[in-house]
Amino acid sequence: MTSKRRVAVTGLGLVTPAGNSADQAWNTLMAGRSCVAPITRFDASGFPVRIAAEVKGFNEAAPIAERKQLKFANRSHRFALAAAEEAMRDAGIRPSPETRRRWGCAVGTGMMGMEFADLIRLHRHSAAAGELDVRRLLEDEVALDPMVFCRSQTPAGVSLLLRHFGIGGYATSVHTACASGGQAVGTAMKLIRRGTADYVLAGGFDSMITPIGLAGFCLLSALSPDNETPQRASRPFDASRNGFVLGEGAGFLVLEEWSAARQRGARIYAELAGDGNSLSSYRITDSHPSGDGPIQSMQQALADAGAAPADVTYVNAHGTSTQMNDRSEAAALRAVFDSQAKDVAVSSTKSVMGHLIAAAGAVEAVICALAIRHSTLPVNANLRELDPECELNIVRGEPRRRRINIAISNSLGFGGSNSCLALRNPEEVDGRAGGRA
Amino acid sequence: MAQMRNVVITGAGALCAAGQHPAEIWSALNAGVSALAPIRQWDTTGWPRRVAGEIPDFDAVSLLKDRKIQKFIRRSDVFGLYAAEQAIVESGLTAYRDTLDEAAAAHFNDRTGVYVGSGGGSYQSQYDYFPLLSAAQGDLQAFGRELGDTVNPMWLLRTLPNNVLCHVGIRHGLKGSNACITNHSVSGMLAIIEGAQALRYEDAERVVAVGHDAPIEPQAVLYFHQLGLLAQDTIRSFDRNRDGSLFGEGAAALVLETAASASMRNAPILGEVLGSGYASDGEGLLAISDDGAALSDAISMALEDAQLQPSEVGVIVAHANGTRQSDASEAAAIARVFGADMPPVTGFKWAFGHLIAASGIIETVQALCGLREGRFPGIATLRDLDPGIVGLPVSVAAFTPRSDVALVISRGFGGTNAVVLIRAASGG
Repeated sequence: MTSKRRVAVTGLGLVTPAGNSADQAWNTLMAGRSCVAPITRFDASGFPVRIAAEVKGFNEAAPIAERKQLKFANRSHRFALAAAEEAMRDAGIRPSPETRRRWGCAVGTGMMGMEFADLIRLHRHSAAAGELDVRRLLEDEVALDPMVFCRSQTPAGVSLLLRHFGIGGYATSVHTACASGGQAVGTAMKLIRRGTADYVLAGGFDSMITPIGLAGFCLLSALSPDNETPQRASRPFDASRNGFVLGEGAGFLVLEEWSAARQRGARIYAELAGDGNSLSSYRITDSHPSGDGPIQSMQQALADAGAAPADVTYVNAHGTSTQMNDRSEAAALRAVFDSQAKDVAVSSTKSVMGHLIAAAGAVEAVICALAIRHSTLPVNANLRELDPECELNIVRGEPRRRRINIAISNSLGFGGSNSCLALRNPEEVDGRAGGRA
Repeated sequence: MAQMRNVVITGAGALCAAGQHPAEIWSALNAGVSALAPIRQWDTTGWPRRVAGEIPDFDAVSLLKDRKIQKFIRRSDVFGLYAAEQAIVESGLTAYRDTLDEAAAAHFNDRTGVYVGSGGGSYQSQYDYFPLLSAAQGDLQAFGRELGDTVNPMWLLRTLPNNVLCHVGIRHGLKGSNACITNHSVSGMLAIIEGAQALRYEDAERVVAVGHDAPIEPQAVLYFHQLGLLAQDTIRSFDRNRDGSLFGEGAAALVLETAASASMRNAPILGEVLGSGYASDGEGLLAISDDGAALSDAISMALEDAQLQPSEVGVIVAHANGTRQSDASEAAAIARVFGADMPPVTGFKWAFGHLIAASGIIETVQALCGLREGRFPGIATLRDLDPGIVGLPVSVAAFTPRSDVALVISRGFGGTNAVVLIRAASGG
């Protein structure tokens, strides 16, 4: 299609274990310093896994000026508001009453649920014997508090964002487990390409470092049990890796139609150039050993971007640090890049900040945009002995200075949804650098 | 865009309190019989609200003919998989695929997407932790220690909001572009919209669009009641005495294809998706603007997208959820777009309740039934049109649509408004 509208990334925002702004997080990535530590948010001492990558020093009240709105927001919503605000300021543009219908919002949202404190209160009052007593529920203050309801609803986050920024166009909240953030950003790109919107606030947010979130992953034995060596626990592609580390946070991007962004003199970090989106349809938790599924999403993203494998400089891998994911993803990368695999630099930034679940794909898209901007590839921390089955050109030791043509970001979810985003250096689009330092 | 690919409908499926197949539900609607009834899932003695549209004699095994899958999914997922299967079987999608050689079948699967609107989860899934909380007696250390002895190791997987997406893919071998939309009541409608867009813009040749939800649970009923959203006994859309909505449960699905894909395999064509529109009030989770401005903008966008004039719309299937504010603002939005030339308006929630994430898609499936028959039921519970809703052409009486095009409206929390325009296949 010759008339394809191009999509510019003009604003970035992050709240992550590696820092509560895009700059801070980038600096931590450059230092290659793991943010994994013992869990402090609750007493995890009885759990088989007692480590995570927590967001630190975050002022939960700050993102919401309207005090009345605070009670509608749980922790992950507050991450979202803060990261989205940073992205909007960075872009230097906001919806106005005239443009609000042309602004969309697409977010990857975590799983619905009551906060743990509310669950405890509900249990104590209405289910003390271990089973819900519906008659007691009628008098239960948790069940009678509509705010518990509001915070627990899946569209709570997107609703807060629409209101806070005055967005009035296409708005969606998606959940495909660990692929959520990537799929949300891909959806956002399509909204602009197809003319549904001219601007989209896109991102993901999650916070599963709670007793229930941790329990869910412990039960699946998906987490690294290296409680004694938290800094080493997340080590994607290392031969000794033994599970992922739970993180939390939010990542947001402001996307705009390219020519309008150039016209207003916006800083353009990258072109969001391609989206690949496939379903593995293999098993609910297992990835296909051949990489089937992610192979298609990567190929689609490249085709969508009008790019060849040889154009790709950097891959931000899903790289969770589980045995199965990293092998399957490595197989997929080798299948897609074939003889060029040795030239493509790969790293998983989960080695530094853990796995942000529904936020991961959006956060890692932000990291790709920063990598293009800084002509620097973030390091895959903690790689000592490469798994021979993950034979790839991995950025190890320290970050690599290198101009990026195309960067791709993989996000592969439980349930088999695979997302691949392709971001292109703005110079490759119109010969002009990103603009505005 | 000069060469927009046409999106046709080749299969439909649905189940809800009023029936377990689109035709069966359509009969109930035409008979004027509401399936809303006292809740049976728990004892509602003394409850302020006691009515909903439950699926009678729910039995996952008999619906899905699969014992094993139950361990991995929940009630709402069962509905979604069942509706998807109906639509896929009717379309002959996988039967055709199975006649292809291996390479062609693999390509067919890669080009067939799945778009799901999901309720997103339930409070009850968290109740699975109650026995552990009781055993731990408030001690979080004990909670962590005894976790593995008490809770099903599959807990997280059973609770995933994207289970229908995953299992439709696995059961039917579909591997194309996909989404799981958890955006409250518009989720199912967005599954249609995003699926149709994927076809128009060549992300896929075929998609299965599904919406599913099971919102009838004690805690949710209490919250909706607290918020003043639930009716005492029935949904009286647009009536002077309407007092709220009521939950229903179930799912619906559509198989959508490019016209080229459908004709290549000689698929039955039931209808066409002509266009869609979407706009948000954006005033908060529970707020609805009284003037319905976002909804009227969404309708105008859909008309433009489909290149239709308002006068070409034959019938409006309204969201008509029965709450004071939503019905009034919806009527205002319809009047703003259509002026004095409004097509007949109806709504379906009075018959089976509000299926939340599945509401927009089940109502689209039923609208297709009406277009194909050339006849629509009115709103059976309507007694006395709200005098504040002037001129809305809605009544209890059945009617003939003024063309073969239906506008279907879906609205949700966050002030979201999603609409689609569909047409029945000629000779259908």
